[in-house]
Amino acid sequence: MLLTIARRIGIFAATLVAASIITFLMLSILPGNAARVALGIDATEAQVAAQEQLMGLDRPLYAQFFDWFGHLLIGDFGTSTVSGQEIGPQIGDALAITGVLVISSVILALLFAIPMGILSAVRQNKADGVIISGISQIGISIPGFLFGILLVALFAVKLKWLPAGGWDDPGEDFVGFLEHLILPAIALGSVQGAVLSRYVRSSVLEVMREDFLRTARAKGLAPNRALMRHGLRNAAIPVMTVLGLQIASLLIGAVVIERVFAIPGLGSLLLDKVALRDLPSIQGIVMVLVALVLLLNLLIDIAYTIVDPRLRSAS
Amino acid sequence: MTTTDSPIEPTLSVRNLTVNSAFAELLHGISFDIAPGERVGLIGESGSGKSLTATSVMGLLPETLAANGEIHLAGGHGDLVHASESKLSQLRGNTMAMVFQEPMTALNPLMKVGAQVAEIMTQHRTVPSGQTAAARAVELLAQVKLPKPAEAALAFPHQLSGGQRQRVMLAMAMANDPQLLLCDEPTTALDVTVQAEVLRLIEGLVTERGTSLLFITHDIGVVAEVCERVLVMYKGDIVEDGTVEQVITNPQHPYTKALIAASNLSVVDERGRLHTIATSAITLPTAAELAAALEEPAAPTAPVEPTIATPASASTLDFVIPHQRRTDPDERIIFNEIEGEPLIRVRDLTRQYKRRGGGKLFGKPPVVHGLRGLDFDVAKGQRFGIVGESGSGKSTLMRLMCALDEPTGGSITVSGQELAGAKERELRDFRSQVQIVFQDPMGSLDPRMKVEQIVAEPLRGVSRDESRERVIAQLESVGLDADVMHRHPHQFSGGQRQRISIARALITRPRVLVADEAVSALDVSVRAQVLNLLSDLVDEYALTLLFVSHDLGVIRHACDTVAVLSDGRIVECGPTDDVYDNPLHPYTQKLVSATPSISELAGRARS
Repeated sequence: MLLTIARRIGIFAATLVAASIITFLMLSILPGNAARVALGIDATEAQVAAQEQLMGLDRPLYAQFFDWFGHLLIGDFGTSTVSGQEIGPQIGDALAITGVLVISSVILALLFAIPMGILSAVRQNKADGVIISGISQIGISIPGFLFGILLVALFAVKLKWLPAGGWDDPGEDFVGFLEHLILPAIALGSVQGAVLSRYVRSSVLEVMREDFLRTARAKGLAPNRALMRHGLRNAAIPVMTVLGLQIASLLIGAVVIERVFAIPGLGSLLLDKVALRDLPSIQGIVMVLVALVLLLNLLIDIAYTIVDPRLRSAS
Repeated sequence: MTTTDSPIEPTLSVRNLTVNSAFAELLHGISFDIAPGERVGLIGESGSGKSLTATSVMGLLPETLAANGEIHLAGGHGDLVHASESKLSQLRGNTMAMVFQEPMTALNPLMKVGAQVAEIMTQHRTVPSGQTAAARAVELLAQVKLPKPAEAALAFPHQLSGGQRQRVMLAMAMANDPQLLLCDEPTTALDVTVQAEVLRLIEGLVTERGTSLLFITHDIGVVAEVCERVLVMYKGDIVEDGTVEQVITNPQHPYTKALIAASNLSVVDERGRLHTIATSAITLPTAAELAAALEEPAAPTAPVEPTIATPASASTLDFVIPHQRRTDPDERIIFNEIEGEPLIRVRDLTRQYKRRGGGKLFGKPPVVHGLRGLDFDVAKGQRFGIVGESGSGKSTLMRLMCALDEPTGGSITVSGQELAGAKERELRDFRSQVQIVFQDPMGSLDPRMKVEQIVAEPLRGVSRDESRERVIAQLESVGLDADVMHRHPHQFSGGQRQRISIARALITRPRVLVADEAVSALDVSVRAQVLNLLSDLVDEYALTLLFVSHDLGVIRHACDTVAVLSDGRIVECGPTDDVYDNPLHPYTQKLVSATPSISELAGRARS
């Protein structure tokens, strides 16, 4: 099992290097360069050339890459060509906010999807099961940002229970932090929860047809107990795959929701930097997002190995 | 030993049991008793209601089906048909237990087998603690003769073979010493030698503990191995009830007679064809209609004294097939060697598989040997059987001979064309000359295509009209009406689907027909029909037949030559009858003795 995990980590590292090369190249071959952006449109060619030399942009591409990647490895993202600030701490702060948002929306999604999915599977032919299925179907059809705007219109504008946007640091004002978190987390998590509940439902339905569940019944386990003891862990395996993909899409989905709720997260930061054409910052943020998605896949792979003995070392 | 009217309370008593779906009645009010310690077989074809009977007793019918009537277990547990779920849960796994057909899927893949066995004891609190349950589970695994039971208890199901998993199921079922054990086709998915061991084990355990047994199977030979009494089911009715001896030697009901005749692959009519249940290929009659039809003098029923005629496989070859065996595993022997130009020539054929990963991070992946150097010839017109158990390499060989896989070494030539290393476009001619009939008649036909498209698919460069004409002719040749053309595969029974597969295989007028377990998924009566059809067609089209199967009886009937494959090598090859009556290699001997044969059983029962 350890060997399988070691192999997965090796693959993760290799993919990360490949992704960094691609990210670096993509942003390097785009028209416009960082030196010109830093100097503004009035700069002369001579000034640009001097700035390029200063920023090291006149070196061969591979040298620039190794310089950038080497610093990345020790957590140094460089400095912004626009503001001259360190990029790393900026990304760190924004990531903390996005992380909290994504994790709480995943928890909300799971809290909704698991019980609802199981219930609608177990009671698939009964009225309540059909109603739950219907609700999740509606949930799938509503885009997250629209749902966010509706939530704001109801709870912030009309009822005035919660703030319409912004962010509070949990260290300073914890209640304010929670108040600011609730609506965006619901907006971000609801669609994922609805989608996930469909997968939970079909996965549980699948497992209910399995022979080993019949065996469990034949051993004298009552239907619900058989499902709890033998069914759910088996049903979790396909759901885990979907969950991994969903968290990745939540990281990206957060970009939109952060705009709707004016939250200073990674998405907002990325959009700001794009507007400023701050290439080193964009490179850094994209790299962080890529690394997170890859890390997520790694964790899901390891989780598979733990849950499913068939995937452990073949020896 | 029928104890229906004895004063002892029967272990199981079923009265007037009916099962209904929303559309039809599936069980028509069956009644039977099983006495304490009695071993009863329940035989019948798929759809006859055997499994419904067992699942009704266990109270595990799907929600869409409703049972009526009465089911009683000894000990005053009340009527099970109308018992509550919690009452039934107390009885299941404790007073009555069940072993299912599919050993591969019947165990929870994520749970250690020891824990799965222990669970049935903790569930019913028949042991004081979880620890004693775990210890007792190891004892039980030892009783079902799993090697190294303490280690086996810590294994996950995928680490065990099919036979071992079925032993685990049996250990589980017997854990709480049930009064009644129900077995639903427990050995159907196993190799014959493993089947023989598991059957002996079941018989031994229930006899030792005095458990009553209800044993469901489609194979009358298996019933004779394990049971004292047999119930024969047909279309939701029990049509015959008697001792094994009575039923095999002197069947009363016409269906039973026909079933036994069709099961017996060594008894054939004067044309060398098997006895079949006299039914049309399209619809099965009801029990009453069948009885009427079979009572007519013209209908083929089992002969009282079976005439052992020359089987369909009677050699029409103009040479003597040598009977050869392997003594040294590494010796190179060319089996069935043919002078001049054989149709198929296989030389030093090897296929190795690299195991991916295989537990090593670096270094060469371990190699698994599929085939270890095969040498044999097949003459034109020969009916060449390849028999072996799972893992013997027979499927690998079949795939190589159909050019569906590349050998790692050696050569295969068919009509002078070398298959090893040939490019797909060079194989065009080969593809039309060699056609395959697969095992699974459900999975090998595209469910979205109509029969006409399926059968016509191998035809190339043929006009629409001609194609249709040929499809109609081919369907008729396999005993199907032309109007089935417009239907989809799911509208047919297994036997009919296999006929469609055969029609598809023959439409290009191939020279070689490869049958890969072509009748293994079929009921005995249908199996007999399809085998007869194959024999007819092989004669009519002068085909060379390659028949791959695990079933010795089928090979014996269909082939004139047989090669026995074990662990990637041919261990014995020769004329079929010779190999069966006088097996030379120890493996062949083991294989032959593990296969229950009807004639033999009848003989044993008589004496």
